[in-house]
Amino acid sequence: MTQHRWDDDQHLLDDLSDALREAALAGTLAEYGKGAYAWRTIDQDLLLASLSFDSSLESVQERRSDRDDARVLVFTAAPLSLELEVMPDRIVGQIVPPGPGEIRVEAADGVTFHVEADDAGFFDLPGMPRGPVRLRCDTPTGRLVTDWVRL
Amino acid sequence: MDNGDYPITSLVDAAAAGDEHAWHEIVDRYAPLLASVIRRFQLTTAETQDVAQTVWLRLIEHLSSLREPRALPMWIITTSRRESLRYLAGRRRTLPYDPLDPSWLATSAEDAEPDAELLRAERHEALLAGLAELPARQRELLLLLVEDPPLSYAQISQRTGVPVGSIGPTRGRALDRLRQTFAVRDHLTGPARVPVVSDGAARLDRGAPRDFDRLRER
Repeated sequence: MTQHRWDDDQHLLDDLSDALREAALAGTLAEYGKGAYAWRTIDQDLLLASLSFDSSLESVQERRSDRDDARVLVFTAAPLSLELEVMPDRIVGQIVPPGPGEIRVEAADGVTFHVEADDAGFFDLPGMPRGPVRLRCDTPTGRLVTDWVRL
Repeated sequence: MDNGDYPITSLVDAAAAGDEHAWHEIVDRYAPLLASVIRRFQLTTAETQDVAQTVWLRLIEHLSSLREPRALPMWIITTSRRESLRYLAGRRRTLPYDPLDPSWLATSAEDAEPDAELLRAERHEALLAGLAELPARQRELLLLLVEDPPLSYAQISQRTGVPVGSIGPTRGRALDRLRQTFAVRDHLTGPARVPVVSDGAARLDRGAPRDFDRLRER
């Protein structure tokens, strides 16, 4: 059995102390977390669409060179998905499979607004609020809510 | 050893079922881990707030998928790192290169962080995740023991109700318990888990992105 630094009480406590010093913001961040619970979704029929692709996390090599800097996000929930393309001046989106629906944007600061998707499932969003947002999507075939993201 | 009675699992179940106190407890236990991960990216205050809020908000909706004991800290580490990286990636694209700019230093620190720094961060993450697993009284005692400036045993005794003569042995038991947590044991026995953040990080789940070009034709 090899000795580890943490076998010694004082070393273990010293390292814990270092770790906690680097976590000095914990109290503040915990306050944000407690406030966030009010946003819990309790609607059982609502599909949670997880962020399954985000082009802003692609490495430089992976990024397709023929594209500009628009950010592409995909939220997936069988049988319904949402695709977003974030450009500097606007955000466009697509309901998949294509079809009409209502899109509601919710921001963590309480701002909400909605837009209608056309019959092909396409929608166009004006400027977004700062901070985390999520999208709710109501269609004749189902309803979903996306993960929270910063756009 | 009370491995069968893993407290985080029942907290996660309760919070997912609507128990707000359980959620607050999760937040208090894991906020140090979250703070420590985000800190490494040297974000501004507003950015730090956005990342933390996004992680908490998303966690609430994902609680029901995190029933395995090790899943919660890993989820927090991965999600907060990814969300922090997005700020760095954004800066890299919009700023001209300046080797003296701190945001560039932060970017390269994450891309090619020296092994020693990465290992140090992993050590800290393991200890903070382990601390989150401890029963409240043991966690509280360890937090008091590392206060800066240090508290006397008499002061610690006053705050915890533990007699001065018992603080030494209680401290020993709390540290033993910390060594036995999932997080610390995994850290000591597992292979070095150097996180690879640039390798396919964009593909968060499975499956390739669809063809987005039809969006742009509109």
